[in-house]
Amino acid sequence: MAKNKVEKVPLFDRIFKPEVITLENGHSVARPKSRVPLILAILFVAILIAARATGFDFNILFNRINQLTVILGKIFNPNWSFFPKVLPPLIGTIKMSIVGTVVGCVVALPVSIFASSNINKNKPTLLIIRFIISVVRSLPAIVYAYFFVLVFGLGTFAGSLAIAFFTFGIVAKMLYENIETIDMGPYEAMTSFGANTLESFWTACLPQILPQFFDNCLYCFELNVRNSSILGYVGAGGLGLLINERVGLRQYNDVGMILLTIFVVVMTIDLVNDYIRSKII
Amino acid sequence: MIEFKDVSKTYPNGTKGLQHVNLQIEQGEFIAIIGLSGAGKSTLIRTINRMIDITDGQLLVDGVDVMSLKGKELRRFRRKIGMIFQSFNLVSRSTVIKNVLASNVPDMPWYKTMFGIYSKEQKLRALEALDKVNILDKAYNRCDELSGGQMQRVALARTVNQNPSIILADEPVASLDPIIADVVMSDFARINRDMNITILINIHHVDLALKYATRVIGVRAGEIVYDGPASEVTQEVLNLVYMGKAVPTSTDKVEIEGMVINNG
Amino acid sequence: MSTTNHYNENVLEKLASEPNNLWKRILIFLIILGLVIWGNTGSNFTGITEKGMNVAKAILNGITHPETLLLFNFTSKGIPMLLLETISIAFLGTLIGAILAIPFAFLSATNIVPKWVSIIFRSITMLIRTIPALVWALIWIRVTGPGPFCGVVTQSIASIGMVSKMYITAIENLDTGVLEALDACGCNLFEKIRVGIIPQLSASFISTAIYRFDINLKDATILGIVGAGGIGFPLTDAIANARWNRVGAFVIVLVLLVIVIEWISTKIRARLAHGRS
Repeated sequence: MAKNKVEKVPLFDRIFKPEVITLENGHSVARPKSRVPLILAILFVAILIAARATGFDFNILFNRINQLTVILGKIFNPNWSFFPKVLPPLIGTIKMSIVGTVVGCVVALPVSIFASSNINKNKPTLLIIRFIISVVRSLPAIVYAYFFVLVFGLGTFAGSLAIAFFTFGIVAKMLYENIETIDMGPYEAMTSFGANTLESFWTACLPQILPQFFDNCLYCFELNVRNSSILGYVGAGGLGLLINERVGLRQYNDVGMILLTIFVVVMTIDLVNDYIRSKII
Repeated sequence: MIEFKDVSKTYPNGTKGLQHVNLQIEQGEFIAIIGLSGAGKSTLIRTINRMIDITDGQLLVDGVDVMSLKGKELRRFRRKIGMIFQSFNLVSRSTVIKNVLASNVPDMPWYKTMFGIYSKEQKLRALEALDKVNILDKAYNRCDELSGGQMQRVALARTVNQNPSIILADEPVASLDPIIADVVMSDFARINRDMNITILINIHHVDLALKYATRVIGVRAGEIVYDGPASEVTQEVLNLVYMGKAVPTSTDKVEIEGMVINNG
Repeated sequence: MSTTNHYNENVLEKLASEPNNLWKRILIFLIILGLVIWGNTGSNFTGITEKGMNVAKAILNGITHPETLLLFNFTSKGIPMLLLETISIAFLGTLIGAILAIPFAFLSATNIVPKWVSIIFRSITMLIRTIPALVWALIWIRVTGPGPFCGVVTQSIASIGMVSKMYITAIENLDTGVLEALDACGCNLFEKIRVGIIPQLSASFISTAIYRFDINLKDATILGIVGAGGIGFPLTDAIANARWNRVGAFVIVLVLLVIVIEWISTKIRARLAHGRS
């Protein structure tokens, strides 16, 4: 039945011939040469090139590290009276994240279903959809935000849209990887008693997909609250604007207050997420 | 009635699944199909509801030529044939009753399927099916809370709920321990008796096959080498089916030429 | 209910005990809907302006007609050098971050150190994680001055949080059966670490580092916005000056770079996880 396949010898083993060890009883085994020296050599060269390209310099670090301690000292001594000014943009950030996450996730669900090889058997459409997901994923949220600010004007709408794109890319990828691991047995059972493709998918596959989907959405929401704080840099609303302004004015105590707020919010969301997760999984 | 008329199946890679199979199965028979893994037992069973297409011959189920069906007709035809799998094929995250109710889906309008709305009548029928396989008390539990034997009984209830005239079971007890396997087989026997449903079972446990089935079909390399009452299955017959190698009478491991076949 | 008469009592009783989840689902749906509506309040969407339309057209036009000359410009302003700089930032940042994360991970793993030590180090990594990479860059710029070196240092620190979190999982999932077997062979502590622990951890540590490299590469493309080197600054500069053909070239190269690196890293990680096959 199975044809004897000629095993392909990797290029490495053809250049560096495996060492043949013969035991006393005449049995022999081929021991491929270790790849570690080659990998280390490549790594070493790569480090040298990268260090040159980035102007890596330990002296600067050692001489000026006290600057960092000064700044960090101020950040960890937050200016509590600044809190009222943090609150409005914080709420803006959260609003942006909610809208962006929900929109991104809702679009991602159907797309990821068609990007799963176990459900979409049509290879060309599969590859096209996956390519689109990859392209959307590869641009950082802030670049989207920059574009949308120019097109839709300054403010939270551009931010929400940027977050929606970013969320779509991440959730669609995670989800189609999850969908590919679901148990197709129930689907087979449904077709065996006469359900059509859509009915089988809806009844047998969707219940397996949804918990994963909600889990991914929650994870992404947390990520978005964390990340959307930087979108303000390009004028897309939220906390980023404030951070940019305070850093520019070197008011690091205020920055500390902003970061502390983000920290508390993210922790809270994390806790709520863990609770919801325990309920749905 | 199921009729195989000189049926053959050749897979695209050249493997011969079935060769010139001729069979006649009356309504209400309980048939066990025995044979080595890869002998064609699964192929034989799956051609009946056309999960696998035959390549030669004719296969009639209640007078209908199976190969002539397509699309909607095929799906309507499959409604009266239930199928049971080795791996149960239940949605483990859903509740037991939802899995049983799933067999109503093909008869429901799309919007009811979409929101999973089932009528009281349907729910009662599903519960009754669960009662028939003695697992009513787990109706609202999630399937992943059940043991293997319980899951197979839920799968059986799902099939019963479909009200079929034929049940095909592809190694239904292969993942179960011997005691549970016996219980599940007795469930099959009861349903066969009470509801006059034709049952075809692929099985590696020869002792269980002989204990419950009324008729045994031995398959070897795609050919039928034995077809007769369970009471007439002798050691010679088993030698024939299992290529002359000794068959342990009560074990779920069959060892042939150093190769271990463990429940398929 | 005459239709239900022929069912036996057990069945009817069971149906009566059916849990009702419908109101729960409706409630959850309403909560999410409410959140989205609340999130949209204060959103400034007033329809797309004519100016906005023109910008959108210009962007699309630019992306479809990239400035190809830039691709073959090998000076420091050309794309090849900028890419090298970006990749270098991500590479060194990941390498240093991955090494720095090792002590953090071991000191946070509950199967290695006492609980209170683990809590202290977990909170430190949590704090590091909270500060966004861009803010780290703004802080480090005061130390290193603007340029790619700032990017390297930023990523070295910013990587610690996530990388050590994944290391911790690997350490806590260590198969202690191996150590037991080595104990039975009479190995000492050093031998146990060398033969029992390092081979188990190295694959997942390297895999984590490569995964983080993916993320860092994406981050490295935006660090330039605050002056930390890489392709980010010329990109935002081109956007600010509405040089859309140039933006188009940058965006296309970025997309290709990220996709290629992601593909390679997935291959390597799959091999690390499943061995050569």
